Amino acid sequence: MRRSAAARASLSIALLTPVVLAAVAVGLAVGAGELSLSGALRGREPDATVLFRLRLPRVLLAAEVGAALSVAGVALQALLRNPLADPFVFGLSGGAAIGIAVVTVASGSAIGLAATSAASFLGVLPAQLAAVAGAMAAALLIFTLGRARGQLEPARALLAGIVFNSFASALVLSVEAVLRPDQMQAVSLWLAGTLGYEAMPLLAGAGIALLLPALVLVALAGRLNLLSLGDEGAAALGVDVGRTRLLAFFAASAAVGIAVAFTGLVGFVGLIVPHAVRLVTGPDHRVVLPASALGGAAFLVLADALARVLFRGLGAEPPVGAVTAIVGAPLFVLLMRSRA
Amino acid sequence: MILLEARGLRFRHPGAAREALAGASLSVASGEVVAAIGPNAAGKSTLARLCCGLLAPQEGAISLQQAPMSRLGRRERARRVAFLPQNPPHDLSFTAREVALMGRAPHLGLWSLEGPHDLEIARSALDQFDALDLAERPVSQLSGGERQRVFLARAFAQEAALLVLDEPTAALDLSHQVLLVNALRRKAREGGGALLVLHDLALAGAACDRLALLDRGQVVAEGTPAEVLRPEVLSAVYGTPVEVVANPVTGQPLVAPRISR
Repeated sequence: MRRSAAARASLSIALLTPVVLAAVAVGLAVGAGELSLSGALRGREPDATVLFRLRLPRVLLAAEVGAALSVAGVALQALLRNPLADPFVFGLSGGAAIGIAVVTVASGSAIGLAATSAASFLGVLPAQLAAVAGAMAAALLIFTLGRARGQLEPARALLAGIVFNSFASALVLSVEAVLRPDQMQAVSLWLAGTLGYEAMPLLAGAGIALLLPALVLVALAGRLNLLSLGDEGAAALGVDVGRTRLLAFFAASAAVGIAVAFTGLVGFVGLIVPHAVRLVTGPDHRVVLPASALGGAAFLVLADALARVLFRGLGAEPPVGAVTAIVGAPLFVLLMRSRA
Repeated sequence: MILLEARGLRFRHPGAAREALAGASLSVASGEVVAAIGPNAAGKSTLARLCCGLLAPQEGAISLQQAPMSRLGRRERARRVAFLPQNPPHDLSFTAREVALMGRAPHLGLWSLEGPHDLEIARSALDQFDALDLAERPVSQLSGGERQRVFLARAFAQEAALLVLDEPTAALDLSHQVLLVNALRRKAREGGGALLVLHDLALAGAACDRLALLDRGQVVAEGTPAEVLRPEVLSAVYGTPVEVVANPVTGQPLVAPRISR
């Protein structure tokens, strides 16, 4: 590793970009039905509609969400100084789930209907806004609870996040008791992590919204490295430790909030992708962050393709969150053992 | 030029019964290597942290190169003073080279990307501490002494005029202690300076231009090693009988506790 961080980051981007493109090609090529790619490209129906209206938006969504969750995972692992931290440990999943549950319940009421029509006027779904709001509110709560003597204490924050997540899932279970069967199915699909078919403008908006926290985190990458020296070590090198933590924390939370708003709780991506990337690149966040964004995009696109192929014979497909966990858990154990 | 000027520092750690520093003053000029010595809990490490801006004094004033510490931005401060903590982290998966390069952080721009100049400074800093062959190894796999040399290289790579090193020789064997002293003397000749926290009084006497003896948060004796390292002063402060003899070759004061068996 005699090369500079910039050179290594460029190298990993150059190597991973074709991997992402290949994953996207696979994601576009496979699906529930047979599709003639050449026909679709020549505009033949219904192949063109399937490719451009269904598969392409879904692949793009998978890529965006995979990248966002992975980047957030890297940041939270650095902040908690714990390589096993997942984007959801900070109570983010619990907060988003509460948001979704509340909106689902409220959609029956008059106020809920008014809010729904106001939100759809803006081009977003109320459930998505509620998920982002819930995740951010939870993040703020955990950040406050995790502080002692004016500093974020990783162990304390981790514990607060775990406790809050249990609390939230109990709350969601209670709410589910009063839901209609169709509402309940929607909530449980979301909790399991499902990629849907979003409109292109919404996808573009989400992509731009995700770019901002991602850029903030890449700009903080050097300082995240220094945080591994401890608060004092980082401060002695000119890092404003408190502000760096706060910025990285909220950038990661925003990325997770936006991602889960579309797909629900897709687990394991933010844990396994950074872990696998670090095995190859080493711990330098200036390299790990961009490499994890690309690796995460490829991973979730492929996991989604697998979900569509796996149960094709049965005419159904498992939620992508189930696939990432089924593939991710054994892979994670393998990675952990190979490291030891 | 005065690299560090600390006047009347008072500091009480949160929840502590007594002040860690009770009106301590100290200065380091360009070309000087100064050591803070004294018994445990005399306030040496607290003094070191205050001089790096890691803690703010509750009373008193500190300036770096005549600029008040409180007016300096964090990065500017880190370009003026480099700090080596007593216990650098030992579980880092970063390589020795990456850790040495971290010393360049206060000099880097928005994206924290180092250039060839920074790589060369880190390389020669590692070389200076006989740690170039450790460059590609993760710090977590190094021995205590090897790790200490890597963190010393990081402090030197920071290229701050003033080095504040807390117990820099604790993990080092004799030859590497000499290596460090030579590096400090070179730094001083080039116009820099250093404030060391030392327990090893023989080394303090041999390596430093001035010593500040701390006791219960105050500087009770200050001056050249010959002025400070006197048996009656040391015996009183350390609370145990101490002999001081002259090194037969160099004439430098050698301190030895009187141990009866």
